[in-house]
Amino acid sequence: MEDGTMVMKRTETHGVPLTTETMFPESSDALGSVSDYAIETHRLTKRFGSFTAVDHIDLSVRKGEIYGFLGPNGAGKTTAIRMFCTLLTPSSGSAKVAGYDIAHQANEVRKRIGLVSEKLIMYPRLTAFENLMFFGSLYEIDQNSLRERTHELLDMVQLTPFKDRVVGGYSSGMRQRLNVIRALLHDPEIIFLDEPTTALDPQSTRFVRDLVKELKEMGHTIVLTTHIMEEADELSDRISIIDHGKIIATERPQELKNKYKSDNLLDVFLTLTGRELRDSASDRIPMRRVMGRM
Amino acid sequence: MLSELRTFSIALKIARRDLLDLWRAKMLLFSFLLMPLLLMAMFGYMFPTTPKANLAVGNMPTAYPNIPVALVQMDRGSLANAVANQFVDIAQAQQLFRVSEVTSYQTARESIVWGTISGIVVIPDGFTAAITAGMQATVQVTVDETNPQIAAVVQSEIAAIFGVISSSISTTTMTNMMGNSINPAFLLEPVSITQVPLISGTSTTFQFLAPGFMALTVVFGALSGVGFAISREREQGTMDGLLVSPITRRAVIFGKVLSQTVRGLIQAFLILGLSMLIFGVRIYGSPLLMVLTMLLGVASFVGVGIILTAFAPEQETAQMIVILLQFPMMFLSGIIFPVTSLPGWMQWIGKAMPLYYAADALRKVVILNAGLNVIGMDLMILIAYALITLTAAVPVFEKAMTR
Repeated sequence: MEDGTMVMKRTETHGVPLTTETMFPESSDALGSVSDYAIETHRLTKRFGSFTAVDHIDLSVRKGEIYGFLGPNGAGKTTAIRMFCTLLTPSSGSAKVAGYDIAHQANEVRKRIGLVSEKLIMYPRLTAFENLMFFGSLYEIDQNSLRERTHELLDMVQLTPFKDRVVGGYSSGMRQRLNVIRALLHDPEIIFLDEPTTALDPQSTRFVRDLVKELKEMGHTIVLTTHIMEEADELSDRISIIDHGKIIATERPQELKNKYKSDNLLDVFLTLTGRELRDSASDRIPMRRVMGRM
Repeated sequence: MLSELRTFSIALKIARRDLLDLWRAKMLLFSFLLMPLLLMAMFGYMFPTTPKANLAVGNMPTAYPNIPVALVQMDRGSLANAVANQFVDIAQAQQLFRVSEVTSYQTARESIVWGTISGIVVIPDGFTAAITAGMQATVQVTVDETNPQIAAVVQSEIAAIFGVISSSISTTTMTNMMGNSINPAFLLEPVSITQVPLISGTSTTFQFLAPGFMALTVVFGALSGVGFAISREREQGTMDGLLVSPITRRAVIFGKVLSQTVRGLIQAFLILGLSMLIFGVRIYGSPLLMVLTMLLGVASFVGVGIILTAFAPEQETAQMIVILLQFPMMFLSGIIFPVTSLPGWMQWIGKAMPLYYAADALRKVVILNAGLNVIGMDLMILIAYALITLTAAVPVFEKAMTR
């Protein structure tokens, strides 16, 4: 465990009932976690009607690591993250985030996490400063400290000159930088980044990636979902691949590549999850049968 | 206690943000302010007002002045001429009709088909002869039945004018026959009716409708506003920002309720202002009680709005659900049509809607200067609605957001 290799959590013990306490004895203290893990799940499941989006997953994210959470579209990544963030209630199983149970200690979890989701969590008609002050005020931060912190964070992402412009007029890169600092206002222990660089230009992408690295250096735990394999490879300490709601691999990026004898993560990913499209119903028609005939 | 204070403080912040958002959306703000003004202006002009009184012919209120009608005079006798002239004089003096003389019934009928007139009055051949012979003469009336409301007005106003003309002919005939020793009015109408208005001074029908429309606007605003606000935030992703923070779901709901209440009150006061300025509506009761009633009206509805729209996947569905509720409410809550005119089961539906009680209470306060003792039961029902629906709305909202 100390060497940093991933460990899928055991889900069965000999004759010991599987409860949150038996699964996570080290973190059962309601005052906070003494575990090495920022996130631990036990057979965590989410069903939508007859569809199982997340299927009895057991995973552990270590404190201070960048945990790459990869999977094809519809594999269950976002559903799992929404459960970790208390935005969805699990159908069964349990999870602890920052040492607190997501179902029963949701508010304690919320104080300790920050979410950067695919969608921009910003009111487009408010200025950047107004947005940050509003979202910051939802946490127990006094107004003066919040104002100071907002200015610092805006400085950090080089948005101070634009702080009084309405967010609706921001470019994608500016929006995403703002989206990231919104999640950092209350200095959370764990930060969930759900596809943070999708649709960003190379400069903004580099900026966000560097921010993620700095956050890790400062001791924050980061859960990162991305479809950009090169990004996952560059940033992640460990990677889990989820498919059809189940975790099918968890390793360090290099170990995954070694194991599947490839020098890039994309091949490993395709080997593990298959090459066929997830949202198609029939075989592909060759392009030459469609194009160049008019 | 401390957590309750925090909930309230967060709710205030959410409400403030919502209102700031409305302030910034200039087109939305414009429509938001225009909607109640338009609604009020529409209803204000649609419902009857009192025209200038003319003591010579009595007071004939009309909501539709100067309706175009045709007069076809087939009889050219002296009496027919006199009656035709009297008809035109009264119609024009009272601004009831704009009368045009037409030579034949067929031409006049074509004008109805073309939509240029709404009624025809025919003084047929033999009119003068009949009256001279001491027999009852007949006037033919045709109205444009494709517009039932106008048709009814034209019919009743023509009847009213000929009522005046008939009395005048009767009075002259009786005086001629019996001299000045008798009182023709006594013989014609031994019992007369004098209307004593419920409220003193001149008033308009709209005075009685305005409070209902105020209640309707405030409640509709609350019902649709809170539903849209929640579904919009869900769709744009900002709801996640609220729900991922350590605040209670009650704070989110309360914040939305507060902002919708402020919005509702702004619209209600616009309606009130316009009604007072343009349509002469007066407030006879306590303004404080009026505001309290409107606040309770909003409170009784936002819970319903949340429960109905929380599970809507997008704004469009939320909108449809709200419209589904708004239409029956508009017609069954006694604002436009009295509830008692409805069949029994519909009356029950009407009375099951909090708008019925909000409108009833507001009407009594504004028009009749009713106090808490009179509208107490209405307010209690609104409070009960608010408590039940808002209590149910919190877990429903929680469930809908995390399902």
